[in-house]
This record gives sequence, C-alpha cells and structure tokens, in this order.
Amino acid sequence: MAKNSFNTDDACLFESMLGEDDRMIMETARDYAQSRLEPRACEANQDEIFDMNIPKEMGELNLLGVVVPEEYGGIGASYTAYGLIAREIERVDSAYRSFLSVQSSLVMHPINVFGTEEQKRKYLPKLATAELIGCFGLTEPDHGSDPGSMVTTATKTNGGWVLNGAKMWITNSPIADIAIVWAKAKNAGSDDGKIMGFIVERDSDGYSAPTTHNKMSLRASFTGELIFDDVFVPDANVFPTVRGLKGPFTCLNSARYGIVWGSLGAAENCYHRARQYVMERKQFGYPLAANQLIQTKLANMLTDITQMQLLSWRLGNLKDQGQDHPSMTSLAKRNNCGRALDIARVARDMLGGNGITGEYRVIHHVVNLESVNTYEGTYDIHGLILGRDITGIQAFTPRGNDLPAAKPEPVAQTLEATEV
Amino acid sequence: MKISVCIKQVPDVSAPITIKDGTLSQDSDRMVLDAYSASAVEEALVLTGAHGGEVEVVLVGPDKAKETIRKALAMGAASGVHIHVEDMSGLDSAAFAEILAAWHKQSSYDAVLTGKQSQDTDAGLTGGMLAWKLDLPYCANAVGLTYEGGKFLVKRQGDTGQEMVELESPCLVTCSNDMNDPRIPSLKGIMQSKKKPVKTVTLDDLGLSLDGVKGGVVKTEGKGFKDVPGREPGKKFEGDPAELVSQLVNLLDNEAKVL
Repeated sequence: MAKNSFNTDDACLFESMLGEDDRMIMETARDYAQSRLEPRACEANQDEIFDMNIPKEMGELNLLGVVVPEEYGGIGASYTAYGLIAREIERVDSAYRSFLSVQSSLVMHPINVFGTEEQKRKYLPKLATAELIGCFGLTEPDHGSDPGSMVTTATKTNGGWVLNGAKMWITNSPIADIAIVWAKAKNAGSDDGKIMGFIVERDSDGYSAPTTHNKMSLRASFTGELIFDDVFVPDANVFPTVRGLKGPFTCLNSARYGIVWGSLGAAENCYHRARQYVMERKQFGYPLAANQLIQTKLANMLTDITQMQLLSWRLGNLKDQGQDHPSMTSLAKRNNCGRALDIARVARDMLGGNGITGEYRVIHHVVNLESVNTYEGTYDIHGLILGRDITGIQAFTPRGNDLPAAKPEPVAQTLEATEV
Repeated sequence: MKISVCIKQVPDVSAPITIKDGTLSQDSDRMVLDAYSASAVEEALVLTGAHGGEVEVVLVGPDKAKETIRKALAMGAASGVHIHVEDMSGLDSAAFAEILAAWHKQSSYDAVLTGKQSQDTDAGLTGGMLAWKLDLPYCANAVGLTYEGGKFLVKRQGDTGQEMVELESPCLVTCSNDMNDPRIPSLKGIMQSKKKPVKTVTLDDLGLSLDGVKGGVVKTEGKGFKDVPGREPGKKFEGDPAELVSQLVNLLDNEAKVL
C-alpha cells in the first residue's frame, strides 16, 4: 500500500500549500456557505429570491472587500483568501458569488484604487458592512464585448457632470445604493471622448434601475439596467485621475480573478454530487459507479478540477506577490469557466432524470455557469486576448472581409484590445 | 469567571476519510476544530459574555494543531494553552485525561468544559475521567448551561428525558452539540486571533513523559478490526390490507416480540 493516502477531493493537496490565515478564512467562508446559504439555495433559485439578509450576514463575517485595507473597513487579506471565499460561496450558487464579486471587486476595489481619500472614507466602510450595496455599470444594450464603443455620456457642467445613457446586465442594480458608472466625457477639454468613472447615488434625479425579468440563470441574484436621464453627479463623486478603459478593465480583472476560483467551487460541487449519486444509485444490480463509462467521467472531472485548483492557487500567489498580468487572469478565467461548464453538464448527465430536478442542484450549476462563462469576457473573447498575446496580431475586428455596409468602420479599440 | 475549555483537533468529517489497518487515517490535510469542542467554546463565550470573565482553551496535540487553537481564539476565547505532543499515536481517552488533569492541577478556573465526545473516536470518556482525576463535580451531555450565585445549573439530556443538575463551582461539564450553534469566526476575529496569547507547554513541564503516559495510563489496546456490517434488507408485504395487518401484528408480537 502506498505510504500516503490519496485525497479524491484535492488530488495534489493544494490546500496544504495555503497559509494559516487563508485556510482559516476559507473555513469561515465554507461554514457560512454550507450552514446559511446552502439550505435556502434551491428555493431561492426556483423562486428568484435574493434574501436581503445575505449582504448583512456577509458583512458581519467581513467577507466583503477583504483585500481592502483595515483603515477603510476591509481586513487587508490576501488575494488568495479572496479567491478561496469566492470558491466556497460559488460551491453553493454562482448568484451569491456574483453579488460578492460585484460588491468586492467592481465597487470597493475601484473606490480603493481610483477614489479620493474622501470617497474611500465615505463609501468603503459602509460597503464592507453592506450598509450600502453597490453595482457596476459598463455594459450597454448594444455594447457588450466592445465597451469602448459605449454611448453613455458625461457632459461637464458647473460643479459636476450630467450623465445620459443606459447600462444593461448589471448585477445588483435594482438593490444598489450606489453605482460605479463608466461614461464618455463631453465638453471636457482635454478629457473629451475619454472614458471616466463616476460614483452615482441611487436617489439622484433622473436615475432609475429597473429589474431584468425572466432570467434562466443566476436567478438568486438581482440583475437590472441603469438608466440615466440628465443625472447630475457632483465633482466630488468623480474618479479624479483614471481615464480610458484602464479604469473598468482594472475592476474586471479583479472580478475575473474571483470567477477563476468561483467556477472551481461550482465544478467541485457538481463532481461531489455526481460521485455521491453514482455510488448510491443502482441499475442492473450494480451501483452506476461500477461502470467503466461512469468511472472515466469521474476521473476526467477530478483531473480537470485538480488542474483548476493548481491554476487558481498559483494565480493567487502571483497576485499576492504583485507578479500577475491580466492575460494570466484571462487564461485562467477562460479555462476554469469552460471546464466547470463541461463538468456540470457531464454531472447532470450522470444523474439521469433526477438531474433534471432542482433538488439535486446540479442543473442549477449548469444554468448558472452558462452566465459565468459569458460574463466578464466571454470564453471566446478571452481566447482572442490570449491569441493577440501569442501572435501579436489583434483579431477582435475583422480585416479583409469587412462588410461594405459596416458603419462606422470597425475600430481595433475594444476593451480587451487596450493595453493597460 | 474563568472557564477552561478542553478542545480537540479532528479530521474534517466532510473531507474524504480513509481507514487504514482499522484506524482512522489522520493524514488527510483537512483538520478542524471538533464540533463538540466548538459547542463547548460557544457555551463558554455565552456565559462569560453574560457574567463577565474570560475563556481559555486547552489543546493536546502536535504543532499543526495550533491552527485549531487559533480557531477558538478567533471565535472569541481570550487565550490558549497548547500542550505539545507531536506523536499522538497510541494515546487513548485515559491518556488525554491524565495530561489535561496535570495541566488543570496547576491552573485556576471556575469551570472546565469539554465536548461530550469527539468526532474522531466518539469515545466520550475523557471528560468523565478528567472530572474524576480533578475530583470535580461533573455532569455529562449538557444541552443547556446557566450560572447563578456561584453555581452552575446544567440541563442534560438523559436516556428518558432532560434533567436539571446543579453543580458547585468549580465543576466540569461535557457539552452536546445540541447545546447551541457555534458562531462562525469573522475575518476580523481571525486576524485578531494572531495577537492573542498562546502558551506552549510540554509534557515535561507537567511532570509527565510520553513513555510514562503510554506505559502507565493507556488502557486501550487494539485487538483487531472489522468493517461495519451492511444492513439486512427489510421485509416487504404485499396483498390485501386487512390480511397484511394481522400478519404484521402477528410477526411483531411473536417474532420481534415488541408488542
């Protein structure tokens, strides 16, 4: 017999490489997710419920914005710890992790990185406790993968800016107290046409945030629009120095990193549930697990999960050491989401007819992961980011076969094509 | 009020667990605070929260078990005592009681709390043995605990119902996991726990030796092991309901003899 035992949850023992703080934070996130989120997950998904106690509960345990320094209400934890939290929350439901990612990476992170001292002191402590909930407005109805073509504008006026336009697919927007909004500057001198960031409060005149209905995925978190009809934002609520796509891209890079870990958690949960099911379910006199087809499926899942674990862990280390590059996150986001979705679909298949019902929770992950694979840069867009890195040639816009009627001429400027 | 809580590190029951040669393999990397110990810590924190005072946790274990002390500190305990024993193989409940008794003979407390058993062996013996060695009034399997006028009032789960037992201080109570819902440490608690004092004590400091404990105190010897037997399939009766009822009553009366 081998000297050491083989851990079929963690084949290469990545958890043994975690530091003590990170492991303890992981345990808190796991205890919370399993004891408080898991019991309400099935019903919440079915009935489209986001329990408004969840933000408060996460805030009480300090799970929001953990990398933000203590003086602004965070706890100054590592990026690895942030990833481990995302993994534990998404083990239950990608919708809950989406809430946490937006609050942490897309709202607290930009205020922490781009905000003035006053903005940090005013907003971050309240966002950390979830006294305030935030959302992030970049995507527009006609501008998804190509946000550089956004049409929302911010026109300079006395003492501030006037926003006009609309944002779509905004997680948390219907419940958000503040929105981080990216818009193109007008009447702004040397900043004209540049993308700038604004902190917009929900009670501003002309601001509305209608809910998006009939989602078949991420049903347990709110998604909506942001509509700006001459919304005035005071100068005090503008990010003073960041200009261009670098701003939103910095936020997205942080959120994508959380998704790298989150999708791992969802994949692990599908694997665990499929493993348990095939051990218990008997057909033709034997457990399903006694069949070769089933065993190789499980072997493939564990192999993929082990690679996802090691990739996530290594990326976390690189971020903690300040040695990361956004393309590393693109690679890992693309890989882990794609594999998680494959694992979830195979697990659903292994559960047969039972896999169709919500109680087994695997189909719940399948439909969630369809969103996770799409948002924050689709699988294919991240492929193009990596392709550009590998070849030095951008392929976001077609060349040589442009449609005669294409107007305006496609420009090579896309979110992902922009150097940061 | 000072409450000393004896805690234990155990393998995480939700992680894959292997049995090697009849014993639980302890080399799974996921080691956690025993759930019964966690209930004892929680109860101690509730009591000191209401009446003032502080909670000290005591753990016997190897170096890596320090993380479990930190978990209790992150929950809110004020200080920890790590009785360092790197190789725990061969130690049984009596050995743990001996070691814990040696520590408590030289420390002060108003009450000692332990889990009613621990998740790794489920023996449920150490608490009672420790009370005997310390000559303390004792109550096992508590599901409730209050403090009034220098006395502890224990609600315990007995075989036939719940009993109320009053214990003079100092005393020892073993805690059920039905007693409470242990708090989840916040991340701030985890960070603050790094600054709380943990005293490391060796067996030598307590006037004990590992060989002495193994030779003189350990009473348990593994003689062999068997796999858990599978459950016998049940009987299924089909047919006319009226006939089935009389058939069933007959079997319950004459075969199972439960009526």
